[in-house]
Amino acid sequence: MEKQYQYSSLGERFRTEWKIYVLAFVFILIADSIGQINIPLGAGRFILFPIFYSLILGVLSGPQVAKIIKSKQVKAASKLVIVAICPFIAKLGINAGASLETVLSAGPALLLQEFGNLGTIFLALPLALLLGLKREAIGATHSINRETNLALITDMYGPDSPETRGSLSIYVVGGMVGTIYFGFMVSVIAALNIFHPFALAMSSGVGAGIMMASATASLTAIYPQMAEQISALASASETISGIDGIYMTIFIGLPLCNWLYKVLEPKIRPFALKSKEDTKVEEA
Amino acid sequence: MRYIEWAVLFIISGLGIALANFVGFQVGFMESLPGVAVLLVIAFLGLVASKLIPLKLPIVAYVSIIGLLAACPASPIREFVIESANKINFTAPLTMVGAYAGMSISDQIKTFVKQGWKMILIGVFVMTGTFLGSAIVSQVVLSLTNVI
Repeated sequence: MEKQYQYSSLGERFRTEWKIYVLAFVFILIADSIGQINIPLGAGRFILFPIFYSLILGVLSGPQVAKIIKSKQVKAASKLVIVAICPFIAKLGINAGASLETVLSAGPALLLQEFGNLGTIFLALPLALLLGLKREAIGATHSINRETNLALITDMYGPDSPETRGSLSIYVVGGMVGTIYFGFMVSVIAALNIFHPFALAMSSGVGAGIMMASATASLTAIYPQMAEQISALASASETISGIDGIYMTIFIGLPLCNWLYKVLEPKIRPFALKSKEDTKVEEA
Repeated sequence: MRYIEWAVLFIISGLGIALANFVGFQVGFMESLPGVAVLLVIAFLGLVASKLIPLKLPIVAYVSIIGLLAACPASPIREFVIESANKINFTAPLTMVGAYAGMSISDQIKTFVKQGWKMILIGVFVMTGTFLGSAIVSQVVLSLTNVI
């Protein structure tokens, strides 16, 4: 069987995508000229990285604002994200190899912290129920909701299900604000001085490359003397998450989320904000 | 994508990294070149591994493992790999990732706005919970195993 390719030739790819490449280089020129900006904020600091500016410029260039690129190129760009992140992941892998001793000594913690990613269920599910969500809450809070999770939920519950609607919502929110929020959140948590930088480093690998990148950039800026080990641990954790993430979701995350939903939903219902559907029913 | 498409796109990424490294950190193109080459070769090997090895893992997992192997103490090219990669500043490869990622979600602004404050708040809790859960487990296990 002949393989199906998205483009018939390299030339066709270039004719469709050249604008994306040119824009990317222009954004690099602008973003890296501005460089890193530190804003002191209480005990912590808000660190702005060039990746934030290029991300925002990218969003603004799209069909809903500046209209420089069209829907066809928007689709093409999401494939390019994977290409562009590979060299960065290679750099992190090299750091992990260079600090192999640190990675190995943290082995048990690295494996066990994967279960910590389920923390989202305990923190976000009760909130979602309080805000009046029903089954959407399962899709929204079972995991960090990146591409693989969205695909999995769509596959399991169907594209028109409330679970998929919830998952898609958080996917969109994470895409829009996730990168910047992750960098900011990590610097605030670091300022609390509760956690060792190594613990923060290995928590950065949540199965979303760009969020890990933002968190790790913040951490290496805050603890420059430990930069090497921090990126080594973040890399190891992200790699493990990339491998086990989908199984964690299928075998632990979703069953746990469904169980907790059954337990909590009846208890929280009396205090919950009314959802639109409830209000409509009462009016009728 | 064909290998040739990947190769050309990787080279474009490499140029982006060199540009960011120059504009942001004043590292000249020739000085960045070995590091960029190392990163691109590892990325390409990761791609080849993901196509040849029947185990269904994300490409980035292979890239990361090959990077680790190239720089681990048993590697004969360890010194060269580490030294050249160190010339590439940590955030230099990320600006292009941000540019592509921004463009790839640029048709979701209206959907994002429509989500309303509830979903944004839940999204913030989801991200915080995922991170904080790991941080708590990591801190406890690292202390128990006397790493910190």
